[in-house]
Amino acid sequence: MASAGSGDEKAAAAAMITLISSDNEKFEVTEATATLSQTIRHMIEDGCTDGGVPLPNVTSKILARVIEYCKKHATAAAGEEGSSSSFSDAAFLEVDRAFLEELEEFDDAFLEVDRATLFDLILAANYLDIKGLLNLTCQKVADSVKGKTPEQIREMYNIVNDLTPEEEAEIRRETQWAFE
Amino acid sequence: MAPPPKLIDDVTVEVLLRLPPAEPEHLFRAALVCKPWLRVLCDPDFRRRYRAFHGAPPLLGLIPRRQAFDGYPAPRFASTTSMPDFPFPGAFDGHRARPLDCRHGRVLVQVWHERRRKLEYLVWDPITGDRHDLPAPDFDWVIYIAAVFCASDGCDHLDCHGGPFSVAFVAMATDLRKDIVKASAYSSETGAWSAPISLGDYAQHIRNALYERLRYGPFAQGRRGPVIGDQVYFALRGGNEIIKYNLHGNCLSVINPPPHNAYEIALMVMEDSSLGFAHIECCSLYLWSMKVDSQGVAEWVQRRVIKVETLVPTVDPSQGPFVVGSAEVDLKSEQMRKVDEPGDYFNVLPYLSFYTPDRGRLLSLARADDL
Repeated sequence: MASAGSGDEKAAAAAMITLISSDNEKFEVTEATATLSQTIRHMIEDGCTDGGVPLPNVTSKILARVIEYCKKHATAAAGEEGSSSSFSDAAFLEVDRAFLEELEEFDDAFLEVDRATLFDLILAANYLDIKGLLNLTCQKVADSVKGKTPEQIREMYNIVNDLTPEEEAEIRRETQWAFE
Repeated sequence: MAPPPKLIDDVTVEVLLRLPPAEPEHLFRAALVCKPWLRVLCDPDFRRRYRAFHGAPPLLGLIPRRQAFDGYPAPRFASTTSMPDFPFPGAFDGHRARPLDCRHGRVLVQVWHERRRKLEYLVWDPITGDRHDLPAPDFDWVIYIAAVFCASDGCDHLDCHGGPFSVAFVAMATDLRKDIVKASAYSSETGAWSAPISLGDYAQHIRNALYERLRYGPFAQGRRGPVIGDQVYFALRGGNEIIKYNLHGNCLSVINPPPHNAYEIALMVMEDSSLGFAHIECCSLYLWSMKVDSQGVAEWVQRRVIKVETLVPTVDPSQGPFVVGSAEVDLKSEQMRKVDEPGDYFNVLPYLSFYTPDRGRLLSLARADDL
């Protein structure tokens, strides 16, 4: 009995991964959550996650948010696999739809952050190679750029204009249509 | 208040990739933000990634083919985005230009050369401005249809510019006073037309048409035909039989259409690269596709029936739909939108491509800065 129990514990423990933020905070997550990151998936495959995964580019504040995203989406991925393999009737499609709507609401709420946090999330998503999160956050920035003038974009994102007035005038002349 | 954060280069690309291709003004405005952004947008790697990210290119413009009784109205590239019309080549010095086909980023134009008193052709790429002049095929014809398409091996045709292309030419000709169908293909790589081939059983098609309808329309429908691989398809007038011109196999054959009762039909390429056949009857759009089994036997399979009536907005329901211009039906979403004003169109050629800022002064400035 005792040996069987410890075996279960071992299996459960094996499925947990420790992530270590740049400010040395430790986060315990399931493998399913962690492997939404391709970077971590590769590290697990290479067997170099013993003693935790140090993430020197990600602060604890951002890592906590990233994990929140991954947890939610890992559940969604697991749910999708289950439903597509065994169920196809309307009731389950309805459940799926409700779940997708919930996920969309989660994503919308998740993006309600200040610009600095949004950028840190993009950097983390890029570094950890989390496709869904990168897409979500970059699309949010792209949508904010749409319909803005170059001046407005520079102001929003603290960008220094290094084009000379002559260069800018030349380009504007040639691409006048884009500014009308 | 703290200054807004900086968008670093790595993620700038990720953000700019997500600006919509159907609204090219956003990329052109972004190119004017700063030199790093300009360089990102003018990098050939960006264009490759942008194309891969978005898949199918957007509709940039429509090239109307006006009815012949309009004479030779000046051809036009009518932009469907905020980008201005591309200046149409060929129509100058009293030359009369007529667009024939458009595919894979290229437009095939027929030009009547006033001084030489003969027809010539040109293939124009509105995006790069390249034009390639070609002679007429070397045989007499009465009426013809032509198709231009990319001839690059393994190309996904999402954004082909500047590579080799082919022009297929299928014509009704007379040979010893007999109507025959002849075909020839031009290759931009050899710069020459292939030796013409003819369709054996065309006379039978005419006999059938005469027997069934006591009238025989001249040759093919003036619509552009789909190209699948290097096979070009055209529908014949009358019974809507389909002519297949296989460029690689250098042969012509006739395919019977699916059962239908419509005079106007359209051929298309389906999502699985099979041949599609669409017709409208009783306000429904019927969509068929040609399925070829493992034995090589082909048959038509009905894929969809879409109620067009419910898609077209009508002012007075008792009046039914009336023509208010051109419209496109998105077969995926079953949405319909008006795309042009009314006119006597023979048909309208859609021009699909990506339009990114890697051109003109923007490009030279980005390159000058690389040095």
